[in-house]
Amino acid sequence: MRRRKFIRQAALATGGIIAAPYILPTGRLFATTNPQMAEHVVFVLFAGGVRQQESILQRYLADSQQIDIEGNIMYNMFKGAPPDLKIAYGTTLPGGQAGGQPISPILSTTLEEQGTLFAELLYTKGGTGHYGGLSAGVSGHYGLTQGLRQRPLHPTIFEYARRFGGYKATDVWMVGNGIGGSVPLLNHSEYPEFGSKFGGNFIAPIVTFGAKEYIDGFKVYHPDDELDPIRKMQAFLNQTFLLQSGELPGINNSNEEKEDIKKFIKNTFDRLEKNQVAFPPVTDNGDAVTIGFATEVMKYFKPKVTVLNLSAVDVCHGNFTGYLKSLHRADHGVGHLWNVIQNQIPEMSGNTAMIVMPEHGRNLDHNPITDENDWFSYDHNGDANSRRMFALMVGPGIPANLRVGSESNPVGDATDIVATMAEILGIKPDVQGAGLLDGYSKSLFDRI
Amino acid sequence: MQIFNTKFYAFQFWLLAIILALTVSSCKNKDYIYGINDVPISPNNAEKNKQKTNEQYLNISYANLYQKALSPDRLVDLSNVITSLGDKQVAYEIIIAKMMTDPDVKLPSKLEVDADPGKFIVETYKRFFVREPTQAEKVFFINFLKSNPNITAEHVYFAFATSTEYYFY
Repeated sequence: MRRRKFIRQAALATGGIIAAPYILPTGRLFATTNPQMAEHVVFVLFAGGVRQQESILQRYLADSQQIDIEGNIMYNMFKGAPPDLKIAYGTTLPGGQAGGQPISPILSTTLEEQGTLFAELLYTKGGTGHYGGLSAGVSGHYGLTQGLRQRPLHPTIFEYARRFGGYKATDVWMVGNGIGGSVPLLNHSEYPEFGSKFGGNFIAPIVTFGAKEYIDGFKVYHPDDELDPIRKMQAFLNQTFLLQSGELPGINNSNEEKEDIKKFIKNTFDRLEKNQVAFPPVTDNGDAVTIGFATEVMKYFKPKVTVLNLSAVDVCHGNFTGYLKSLHRADHGVGHLWNVIQNQIPEMSGNTAMIVMPEHGRNLDHNPITDENDWFSYDHNGDANSRRMFALMVGPGIPANLRVGSESNPVGDATDIVATMAEILGIKPDVQGAGLLDGYSKSLFDRI
Repeated sequence: MQIFNTKFYAFQFWLLAIILALTVSSCKNKDYIYGINDVPISPNNAEKNKQKTNEQYLNISYANLYQKALSPDRLVDLSNVITSLGDKQVAYEIIIAKMMTDPDVKLPSKLEVDADPGKFIVETYKRFFVREPTQAEKVFFINFLKSNPNITAEHVYFAFATSTEYYFY
């Protein structure tokens, strides 16, 4: 009997040693069997607060300034002819009218034609604030008690992807347009059993690469002769400290991943120096620059999940002309991003889904502020119009040229994107099974 | 009867004298003088349980490496760099690695380290961790420096400035 017991235990131990490297962080041996629609998913938080009137409804000045001029200023994303009068959203040619030169389209076929457009989707709960909207977008839950300077109250897509998809930290990235507005907190929640150990990497590239004086040219230690002994000394110091005290909370990048991030930063500084960063043709605002750096993140890491936050359209609080310009540039940037993914990143080309959604809308009625064109500005304080949004998705397996929902028949919710991304990655049953999405949240595929 | 009384009084007298002598002598205190040896007081690493803010980390690491204070402008810019990266340790390592390229960083020479590695280790622990090394820690580093002759003070300082204990106070 003892010999049998010994053989059984030895067999179990051997099996455990063989299987251990394949056990997911969830404790399961295999990833879910749901088929993946794409290996990579990109979520563009077309953020800052976008009115349906100037975006999907293509009303240009007609529904905001009582000037009867309509037209589409987002022609990489949506079908429709641009306005032909009072052009103020483009670039300024020398001696020309301010903003009078529209930016040429990048995509020959609009994203609407390539994919599925949820034309009228609702932000159903809570106030329409930026951080609440961003947090709802990445966590699939409104988190009605969500505060600023507080991580999302519910797990984010990064945590779901790493926990249920088994991805490593450098497979999931949040690219922020800056470090204000609590954006750096969106890469993970502090929800028990999720949290930082499943968090995504975050970068606000405008800040990181704007600090050339302080970090460019940082010393790269030789991996064998210098870094290896340094890591051994660190390991000893950390070991003696851990025995006594605590652990530094943070994202679980392995040492190799940390070195990879450093290498990426160094490479990007070099590519900046040589003008090799794939910025959009027009880069006269922060969103366009952020999109350029986001393509560098994608080229280097080929992330499975990328969330990209834009926000320049928020100038609408006091500058409607600036808002129109920012919308036009955000569309230009999204077109550029899709173009780079398809044509410059072979590992992601044809294997990436992209979803574009604002974090919320803007008010129906203007505020008293006028800009250089005497056009009125718009805030977002939770009225019905600020709850109206759109979502556009494109990529493998996503029906082309399909429009779902209308003003009289809204379809979809602001919290739907996490479940949608989970479906694309093949982890929807796990994510929904965790029971932490908003009660009304669904995958957009389930609403078609 | 008279003789008995005289003897009795003599006995009483001597008894009283002896009790008095014993009482007086027993009340005499001996004066002790205690001396105290100098003992350096520095925090044990187990007491470090508060994480430094980005600003604290930057101010302290700059002071440790440059032996002078960080300017407020530079502090704000460097703090923003840390916030712009999700993995704080990567941010700290990049910033320290950039500082290490600056000739103004105060580093002991290889000769100084090799001349007395024990002294170098004790001073490094005091500089970065504000404490003495334990005997085991000292022995580890002396042996490590001996078996890795290419290691310089820069490598040791980098390891200390990016170790977990350094992020706490």
